[in-house]
Amino acid sequence: MRIILLCLLLSLLVASTSFAHFGVIIPSDDIVSQSDPQTLSLQLKFIHPMEQHYMEMAKPEAFAVVSRGQVTDLLGAIVARRGRSAGQDRDFTYWASDYRIRKPGDYTFYVVPQPYWEPAEDLFIVHYAKVCVSALGREDGWDQPVGLETEIIPLTRPYGLWTNNLFSGQVLLKGQPVPHAEIEVEYLNESVGNSTIITPPADPYVTQVIKADVNGVFHYAMPRSGWWGFSALSQADWTLPHQGVEKSVEIGAVYWVHTRDMR
Amino acid sequence: MKLLLVALLLFCSSSPVLAHKVNIFAYVEGGVVYSESYFPDGRPVVEGKVRVIDSHEQLLLEGQTDPAGLFQFEAPDRGDLMLEIDAGMGHKNKFLLKKAASKE
Repeated sequence: MRIILLCLLLSLLVASTSFAHFGVIIPSDDIVSQSDPQTLSLQLKFIHPMEQHYMEMAKPEAFAVVSRGQVTDLLGAIVARRGRSAGQDRDFTYWASDYRIRKPGDYTFYVVPQPYWEPAEDLFIVHYAKVCVSALGREDGWDQPVGLETEIIPLTRPYGLWTNNLFSGQVLLKGQPVPHAEIEVEYLNESVGNSTIITPPADPYVTQVIKADVNGVFHYAMPRSGWWGFSALSQADWTLPHQGVEKSVEIGAVYWVHTRDMR
Repeated sequence: MKLLLVALLLFCSSSPVLAHKVNIFAYVEGGVVYSESYFPDGRPVVEGKVRVIDSHEQLLLEGQTDPAGLFQFEAPDRGDLMLEIDAGMGHKNKFLLKKAASKE
C-alpha cells in the first residue's frame, strides 16, 4: 500500500514538472521562390515553444539536409548563439546556420542533438527534429523518411499550409509505424509575425495531445498562423549512464510546419 | 527594370496554373548555362521548348529539353538572361538568370 501511494505521489510530481520539451528547427523561410533570398537562416533550439523557456543546448551530434535523396552534412557550419525568453534571468545556448539553396527541390533539414539530462524526469531526452523547405517549385521528397531512429513522415504536404488546415503525419520508430503513438503539439510563441504572445488559460492548452491510430497516423488542425511543432515520444531500447547508473532515454520524433492566415 | 516588371507580371500570371505547373531553373558553371525544366512532382519536361532572351529583349537562342528535362548552352556575355520554358498546352514559365549569378 505504501509503495502504491509513493508511486502515485511520484507520478503526480513528475507529471506536474514535465512541461513539453521540444527540439526546434526553424528556417527563415519555408517556401523559397525565384524572387526570395536564396540563403536561409536556420535556428536549432531546445525550448518549451508555447512558454518560450529556453534550455541549454549542447552542440548537436548531427545537423544535415536531405534533398533529392542526397544527404549534406551541415554540422561544420553551425555557430553558437545565446538567447532567453522574457521571463528568464539568464541566456541559454542555441545554434544557428545559414544555408544557400542552389537547386530546386524539397530540402528536409534535421538535427540530432546530444542527449539532454532531465533530472526532474530522471531520464535523458533526445529529440530528432525535422523541417522541410520547398525551393523553386520542385515539390519532391517531403514524404520521404530521412532514416532517423524515430521520425514523423508528413502525409500532408508540409508547406503551403493555411491556418486551420489539417496536418496529417505518421509516426515511425525504426522505420515501422507506431500504433497509438502519443503526439504532443505546441505553438511556437516566438514565431516571426506572431502579433500577440499567447497566454494559455490553463495547462492543457500549453501542450495539446493527440493519439495516433493503429497505423501511427495522426491529424491536427492548426488554429493560428506561425510555426507548429509535433512531437511523438517513445522510450529508446537503449540506455545511457548518468553518474554510473543506467538511465532511460526518451526519443522524440519532432516535425515543424508553418501556417499562414488566408487573406 | 521594365524587363523585371514584365517578368514579374508573367511569373505571377503563370503561378495559378497548378496541376500541370511547369518550372524552369538555371545556373552557370564553367561558362555554361545549365537549365532544368520540371513539373511540381519532379517529373522532367521532355522536349519542352526553351527560349533564351537577353536584357535587350532580343531572342538569343532556342532549344529543346532532353528526356531528363535538361538544356544547356554556352554562357553569352550579355548581362541578365531570361529563360522561358514552353511545355505546350499553355504551360509556360520563366527564370531570370542574373548576370551576377554567373560569377559564382
